[in-house]
Amino acid sequence: MKKYSYMILAFLLCWTSACKKLDTLPPNIITDQDVFSNSAGIQAYMARMYAELPLEDFRYSPARGLNFFWIIAPVSATTGEALSRDQNGSMQENLTFDDRPTTWSLCYKTIRDANYFAENLPKYASNYTPDQVNAWLGEARFIRAVTYFALVKRYGGVPLVDKVLNYPEQSIAELRIPRSSEEKIYDLISSDLDYAYTNLPASNQVSRANKYAAAGFKSRAMLYAGTVAKYNNISLVDGSGNRLCGIPAAKAVTYFKAAYDAAALLDGKYSLYKKSWAAGDKNAQYQNYVNMFFDASSPENIFVRQYHYPESVHGYDAYNVPRQLMGANGYSSEVNPSLNFVEMFDGIPKNADGTIKTTTNGKYDLYTNTMDLFANAEPRLRATVVLPGDIMKGISIEIRRGIYTGPTAGGISPLLPAGSTAQYPTANIVQSANASQTPYKLPNGTTMNPAGLSGFFTGDGTCSVSGFSVRKYIVPDKPTSEVLENRSDQTWIELRYAEVLLNRAEAAVELNSLGQSDKSYVQDAFTQINQIRERAGADLLAGTTDVNIDVVRKERKKELGFENKQYWDMRRWRVADKEQNSTIYRTLMPFYSANDGKYFFDARLDERNSRYTFDVRWYYEQIPDGEIQKSQNLIQNPGY
Amino acid sequence: MKKLFYSIALSVLVAAGSSCKKVDNYAAPNVTLKGTVTDAGTGKSLQTEQGSGTRIKLLEISWSATPTPFYISSYQDGTYQNTKLFAGKNVISAEGAFVPLVQVDNTGKTIVDKSQTVDVKDVTTVNFSVEPFLRIEWVGDPVLNADGTITTSFKITRGTADANFQQNVSDVAVFINSNNYVGNNNYDNRYTPKLSGNDANNTIGKTVSLTTLGGALPGKRSYFVRVGARISYGLNYYNYTDVKEVKVP
Repeated sequence: MKKYSYMILAFLLCWTSACKKLDTLPPNIITDQDVFSNSAGIQAYMARMYAELPLEDFRYSPARGLNFFWIIAPVSATTGEALSRDQNGSMQENLTFDDRPTTWSLCYKTIRDANYFAENLPKYASNYTPDQVNAWLGEARFIRAVTYFALVKRYGGVPLVDKVLNYPEQSIAELRIPRSSEEKIYDLISSDLDYAYTNLPASNQVSRANKYAAAGFKSRAMLYAGTVAKYNNISLVDGSGNRLCGIPAAKAVTYFKAAYDAAALLDGKYSLYKKSWAAGDKNAQYQNYVNMFFDASSPENIFVRQYHYPESVHGYDAYNVPRQLMGANGYSSEVNPSLNFVEMFDGIPKNADGTIKTTTNGKYDLYTNTMDLFANAEPRLRATVVLPGDIMKGISIEIRRGIYTGPTAGGISPLLPAGSTAQYPTANIVQSANASQTPYKLPNGTTMNPAGLSGFFTGDGTCSVSGFSVRKYIVPDKPTSEVLENRSDQTWIELRYAEVLLNRAEAAVELNSLGQSDKSYVQDAFTQINQIRERAGADLLAGTTDVNIDVVRKERKKELGFENKQYWDMRRWRVADKEQNSTIYRTLMPFYSANDGKYFFDARLDERNSRYTFDVRWYYEQIPDGEIQKSQNLIQNPGY
Repeated sequence: MKKLFYSIALSVLVAAGSSCKKVDNYAAPNVTLKGTVTDAGTGKSLQTEQGSGTRIKLLEISWSATPTPFYISSYQDGTYQNTKLFAGKNVISAEGAFVPLVQVDNTGKTIVDKSQTVDVKDVTTVNFSVEPFLRIEWVGDPVLNADGTITTSFKITRGTADANFQQNVSDVAVFINSNNYVGNNNYDNRYTPKLSGNDANNTIGKTVSLTTLGGALPGKRSYFVRVGARISYGLNYYNYTDVKEVKVP
């Protein structure tokens, strides 16, 4: 019996020694130690944060939010830069699409990641040199600043979270952080970017921030703050006196100065891309401007987001190529630049009021080829927009509305009265409903399709609905077999030096108009604008008296068109509700006159009658109701 | 055996089904709240636009001191009505093109509070008397000219003496549309004449006439005309006249 007791005792003893270490993490969980103690871990953490960075790039549209592949309602078709069959008006950012997280919640996730990084990295600082640690901390602050900027430009003041929040260590009541004032958020962005500028190295891996990216973003953010201070008249003040919407006008000078000074930090560090540019050679200037968007070694790129097939992709080419270059998914022509956009450029015949001139003495001007109208067009226009008949991927992009078969003696009178949104009369005009066309027999015996290969088709919208197509960012040598959704991987240039120069010029002109004369601001703006115009091949400003805020803004619209910047510019200038007030944008329709054997152009209002109206409320977007339900301390923006 | 099994299964089903008979016995919302927002100066209802015009703000304080606001949009003529509310105690105010009923200064202190605390039940009427930013009067009826255009004469005056709401008039427009829902939210910009900037601000106190754009209006139909004007304050709400119909033969 005793023998059994010993045996049991021995058996039990084995148990105690076996249970030595129960409290251990499963080996498939990555701990802070794994991530922060080696630079490969840090690199992975950074990759995640940069991927989350709320940039309005190839994967952004107001209809579907950030980082989504399906971009058929493009940003540029809400601003009037372009028309699109899938976007027929102005809009604020959609709060929710398909149960995807809102911009609000995505941004706070990124902010948490940045805060967590900044709080935990110093614990492992002994593994690295101080320079490394500082650079990484600078990067985390850069990411936080860019993310707060995405929030403040949408919602105004938002809850300011500058450390990691912990639940359940902190109570729910504590975590319901109320909104800060708009001014405080901009000040946080400013101080974060200053920190980043001080700590970041002068160069970094591509698509990661260096110190000049921080300065460049600062010039952008401070310019926004300055314009809001100057032009906003919406106010929302909470019970403790925080101005959640709006910035006191007295702060405008401070912010514009900050924008100007930050932009000046990049002086001499970056330059406009002019690798194949040649003075006086419009073709070289055009080619140079096209190349700029694809040259990885461009001295103009300050901050970019890279893509790479197949693991990180977008579909810009598939959605936006002209109809005749359509890929196998059947998408094309989602971005069709409006005539309003095209008319801003130099080198095209214009009427006294700045609109394109297509008639003389009430009769249409005739041209042998559609490109003849644009023979002297500014190179930047050709590089941004595919004009009817211009070459893309080696073929002529044929855009023709129809064939005019009526009498031509004494010239052709306008087909429609000015300002009409009606359909064209069917008498004397042959058109095509879609891409399967019936050729029309011309008087000289040859045949011609009524519409061009890229449109315009009256029955479906799968064509150039404006008479133009977009060229910027379309890869010039991508074979049609690769023009597919999720098959494009060109780099998105989020911040390029041209924008910094435009930020600087705008801040300078605003400072001058606010009575600041500590520097020769107007002269400086003149220099910057002319640098950009020279590279673009546009007409130069003759003198400083030509510089005013409208000139600067127009230059910005032209230079940064289709780069998803105008959407925010129209808001911060508080002009969106004026520009888009039951507005119908214009289109240019090329016709072939059968009896003349020549083309004429009809400039008209968009016949789809898409009216754009920007609601004043949208200057401050609606805070998602779900967020307010989680935290009743959040005050909704006015009007929602 | 099988029979027994089926009868047990059936009785379980019946029992399960009959046990779930908990009825939602809370009465459906059937309380009506209605009223009019009137111009304190003229006693007439204050014209607005639907959607981005006057709206009534309800804060139901029966349950919580910091409720999420509930809004009722007003009709174009300044009246409002909602017939599907729950009974409860509400703090009610209105927002629109008039001197705000609740004003907060820049330290966050409420300096003006003309909201009404009302027990909303059965059919409750809550009216508001407000000072519009601008008051727009017709000067005669819109005239159909011989050339097929319409000329409208009107006069804009300040609706309030409050020094905080004397901002410049930023826009004046004679909105034209083919149905009687006409305003900044719904108009035909081919015909609608507008003034902005100094031209708009200079109209104050004067009789102004504007003629429709785009030449002769297409005939054999009615046009609906309404004058709107706004100052640069807050969400830039428009003040309006009422709507007049012009028949074009």
